[in-house]
Amino acid sequence: MSEDEIDPVIHAPARLRIVVSLAALPDGDNLSFTRLQDLIGLTPGNLITHLRKLDDAGYIRMEKSGSGVNGTTSVSLTREGRSALDRYTSVLRDLLDQAGSAPPR
Amino acid sequence: MNEDVDMKDGAELDDGSGLDAQGAAAIMQDAGERARRELRVSHPVTFIVAGVAWLLGYGAIWLSVRGQYPYQGPAPEAAIIQVVLVGLAVAIAASIIGRATSGVGGLSMVQRRVSILALAIGIVAVLVLEAAIDRAGASRSVVFGVYQAAAPVLVAGVVYVATSAVRLHWTLLGLGLWLVAVASGGAFAGPVGVWAVTALAGGLGYLLMAALGPALDRHR
Repeated sequence: MSEDEIDPVIHAPARLRIVVSLAALPDGDNLSFTRLQDLIGLTPGNLITHLRKLDDAGYIRMEKSGSGVNGTTSVSLTREGRSALDRYTSVLRDLLDQAGSAPPR
Repeated sequence: MNEDVDMKDGAELDDGSGLDAQGAAAIMQDAGERARRELRVSHPVTFIVAGVAWLLGYGAIWLSVRGQYPYQGPAPEAAIIQVVLVGLAVAIAASIIGRATSGVGGLSMVQRRVSILALAIGIVAVLVLEAAIDRAGASRSVVFGVYQAAAPVLVAGVVYVATSAVRLHWTLLGLGLWLVAVASGGAFAGPVGVWAVTALAGGLGYLLMAALGPALDRHR
């Protein structure tokens, strides 16, 4: 295993936090944009930029409901996103094993 | 709430080039723990609240029927105490659940609503059936003793068991099975004894699950 195998879409602090946070939800659940923002602690502009990158990779799904002041956006991890996180965790675990550090839980 | 996002507030994109494996592992652990802590309902707290309300509410009724001969049924003041305690427990549980699930939508929200609806329909059905049994001429010790004490417990137990099957929630399964056993077994204690059995065994069941829940839920 080498660092080249690490998924660059997930391997950024903010996106890693987003994907791990969404993975804590049960399958079929989603999180509102504002709650995700509270959880991650990013500005709306930063958060949407990272979400778009994850969306482009097919790792998350963003759904808008309503419009104007009552509009809400919900975000959920797709099956591809969950698989990508599993692969990422596996690569990271191997890298840490090679380095002799504690692997991620 | 308007969630349309203004992109002008500094949307710089970190690319992770400075992130090593140890740093990534630390972020994963921190983000995972925070999400689980904030997004999951704290069942131990809700079980403790329900257990205390259950013990005191059923206990108050048992104190009011203790020594009755012939059996008349719970005193109105004791019934009011039970209703107030149940109301308080429901309000506290709703606040805890509402805080954890704020902004969370999807399947688990639907499951939660169906479970609440099933419990509400079950309790209403218990009351309707109680009126029917009373009307059919059953004695007060059957209607306002054995049935009134045991039937709501049986409904709660069955709803918990059904909910646990959908969510694979082992604490709820344990509590549901325990309540079914308390309701059906406690009914043999007679019109006075059934209130004591449901107070003690039901209330302690909730408190026990509050203690065992975290260990059981690690297997979810």
